Amino acid sequence: MVVGILLGVLAITFFLSRVLPGSPVEMMLGAKPTAAQIEAARHELGLDQSLPEQFVLYVADALHGDLGTSLRTRQPVARDLVQRATATMELVTLAMVLAVVIGVPLGVTSAVRRGSWRDHGARVFSIAGMALPVFLIGMLLQMLFYGALGWLPLQGRIDGNVLLDHAFPNVTGFYLVDTALAGDWTAFASAAAHLALPVATLTLAALATVTRIARNMMVEALGEDFVRTAQAYGLPATTIHYRYALKATLIPMLTVIGLTYGYLLGGSVVVEYVFDWPGLGSYVVGALINNDFPAVMGVTLLLATMYLLVNLVVDLLYYAVDPRLRSS
Amino acid sequence: MMKMLSRPAAAAALAATLLMGAILPAAHAATRSLTYAMYGDIKDWDPAIAFSLEVVMLVNVYEPLLWYNPPGSERRFTPALATDWSSSDDGKTWTFNLRRGVTFHDGTPFNAAAAKACLERTMKMKKGAYYIWDAVTSIDAPDDHTLVIHTSRPAPIDLIASSQYGAYMYSPTAAEKGTEWFNEGHDAGTGPYHVRRWDKGQQVVLEKYNDYWGSWKDDQFDRVFLKVATENATQIQMLESGEADFISLVPADAMKRLDSEEGITAQLLPSWKNSQFLINVRKPPTDNLEFRQALVHAWDYSTVVKDIYAGSAVSARGIVPATMWGHDPNIKTPDFDLEKAKRLIEESGVPEDQRKITMAYISTSEEYKNSALLFQQNLKRIGVDVELKPGPWGAIWDRAKHLDTAPNLQSMTWWPTYPTPSDWLIGLFRTEDPTVFNLSHYSNPEFDKAVNEGVRLEGIDRDAAIKQYDKAQQILMHDAPAIFYADLKTRMARRSDIEGFEPNPAYNAVFFYRLRRTH
Repeated sequence: MVVGILLGVLAITFFLSRVLPGSPVEMMLGAKPTAAQIEAARHELGLDQSLPEQFVLYVADALHGDLGTSLRTRQPVARDLVQRATATMELVTLAMVLAVVIGVPLGVTSAVRRGSWRDHGARVFSIAGMALPVFLIGMLLQMLFYGALGWLPLQGRIDGNVLLDHAFPNVTGFYLVDTALAGDWTAFASAAAHLALPVATLTLAALATVTRIARNMMVEALGEDFVRTAQAYGLPATTIHYRYALKATLIPMLTVIGLTYGYLLGGSVVVEYVFDWPGLGSYVVGALINNDFPAVMGVTLLLATMYLLVNLVVDLLYYAVDPRLRSS
Repeated sequence: MMKMLSRPAAAAALAATLLMGAILPAAHAATRSLTYAMYGDIKDWDPAIAFSLEVVMLVNVYEPLLWYNPPGSERRFTPALATDWSSSDDGKTWTFNLRRGVTFHDGTPFNAAAAKACLERTMKMKKGAYYIWDAVTSIDAPDDHTLVIHTSRPAPIDLIASSQYGAYMYSPTAAEKGTEWFNEGHDAGTGPYHVRRWDKGQQVVLEKYNDYWGSWKDDQFDRVFLKVATENATQIQMLESGEADFISLVPADAMKRLDSEEGITAQLLPSWKNSQFLINVRKPPTDNLEFRQALVHAWDYSTVVKDIYAGSAVSARGIVPATMWGHDPNIKTPDFDLEKAKRLIEESGVPEDQRKITMAYISTSEEYKNSALLFQQNLKRIGVDVELKPGPWGAIWDRAKHLDTAPNLQSMTWWPTYPTPSDWLIGLFRTEDPTVFNLSHYSNPEFDKAVNEGVRLEGIDRDAAIKQYDKAQQILMHDAPAIFYADLKTRMARRSDIEGFEPNPAYNAVFFYRLRRTH
């Protein structure tokens, strides 16, 4: 089934990207190509063949692990994707963890103290996070922490000088992990500093969803019989809320977190653009604008795969957290 | 997962990470470094192919045989890898004496055999701007320091050798490793800087080449960071904070504000870029000469350059920029005269119900958009409907090439590959089949003849060539295959403590070797 879904996604993307106006030829060539160069490029790209033929060729190559060469970056798409995906995952994973670490307690507190100032405060906060456009949050943070205070870097993944003077081996592609493995704390600090603003921006965007879901689920769970029983036993409130009630919300929470994570992997476009983050988002935008077919196809394939994987992981986690599923 | 979350330790660890980040370690090395903000990453690293924003890197890492000097200089060329040169009377044999004691960054010596191998590779690959050499029939290397170029027709090889694309010398040993090798971020030039590293999508780091033949002084820059920053707001913030010394994306309306800021200089630099709206001469109703002439007079030239381009352009006087040699000084900007335009339209015989045109332009350009909107308003007043068709360049270019999908008017910005007026005349208006850039679909044997004659004379008798080019420019003014409206200036902003910067319209780049920081 997974293969079927991926093939379907590929076919849709393939034909959609080809009916869009424009041609990738001028991307391949320089500023002022000749007629002969254009013809040669069309042939090289296989654009002189019929669409079904092109599709079959693409799928055959993809099955051999060859996703082609990006017309825009001149690099093998597979290599581009690996580099870009790790950059995005580092950003998105941190943001997701933070959103959960902050959002879940916030949601729980709101649910426990429904109608209190904390509840209203949390709600205003999460609505604001949802309503404010991501680019606006990002640019405001840039103006404050870079422009006015000068505390944090403006853009990029790491300081240029650090890459030269503190070169660290590329092991995982996650700068935080790689610099820590190398034990180079200057490079680590630079990577962390560069992560701060884009992560904060993404966290604010994801926080709203997490907080609201956590609150609603908790409100529901707090009305259950087992909570009343626990209260009757005189268990401490924190234990009831975090140990028992929260546990009952895990399944829907996991679904939401999984979906949000999958969405952020492809949806961090704006943040990556604002912060010049060399990730998948900025890659796919450049590819789309420039009719860079091989890159568009590659990103689609990767995102679809990752989305499926995240769903699979979420499904597996259901088993881990819910004993009822295990026993049946 | 929950267990981890419920422990404050995890949260504390995360908070610590962020806190560490907040203490920004600038890690400034003691080297002299310069930062230039690029709006995109380098795409083609092979100097035989590169034909786009790569010039920012190319002029600092590679050298041609000659550099072209900015207009107004005492001499036309500065010797680069050739120290002197001469041509035969018929303009078909060009002899260059090559500089001695030069090595490529990979250690290979630069000599006539290397230059020959490199030029032959560029020509054989047929990529990028190789066609500037298409008059060349053979190249000889009679001794280590003499390069002889033979051409089939007289050709200005000195000008061609100073091209900003397609004329750089690179190590033939390195080139044997192929384009893929270059595209991993390698270089093989002789220039003052070599490529130290490339972090895709982030930065290119240039470092001084210690064995550079021009030698080094203490106060020159050891390192140059070419940072990718795609958004102009980001570039401006980098300049304001001092993180960037040069930025390449400056909106017209930010020029004044930036220039008034302490420590920043915002400048309009001379350029040979110009903008026009090409008029399709084969598609009704613009296949009608009077109708096209009417459009030319319905364009509000001064408002467009003063208000829409905010002073970063001057009204064009024909197709060749006024600062380029060979521009015909007798050509003036047409009048903006709606009465006259209206009269011409009446005389054209185009029936009222067919006075409708389509106008395509690159949608991301505010300048094109606002110019088109103004034009639309003005034409409405004289009974012509304009349908605007903005789109990405790839899409509008594709449509404009084919007559059945072509618009009546098409935006176009042009610049010369090497400094010659023929670049515009040939590229945009000489008869072309299949159509590539002659998006006016213009074909006039008399014009073609003048251009071809000019090209033939350019290598032997410059004044005679100019006469032919003048003639060609006048024909265009009469035939109106375009609204020639703006000679552009390059907007550039930099830190004021950088000195030694000399703009040169022949190269869309900054020569870092000449720069210093004052203290």
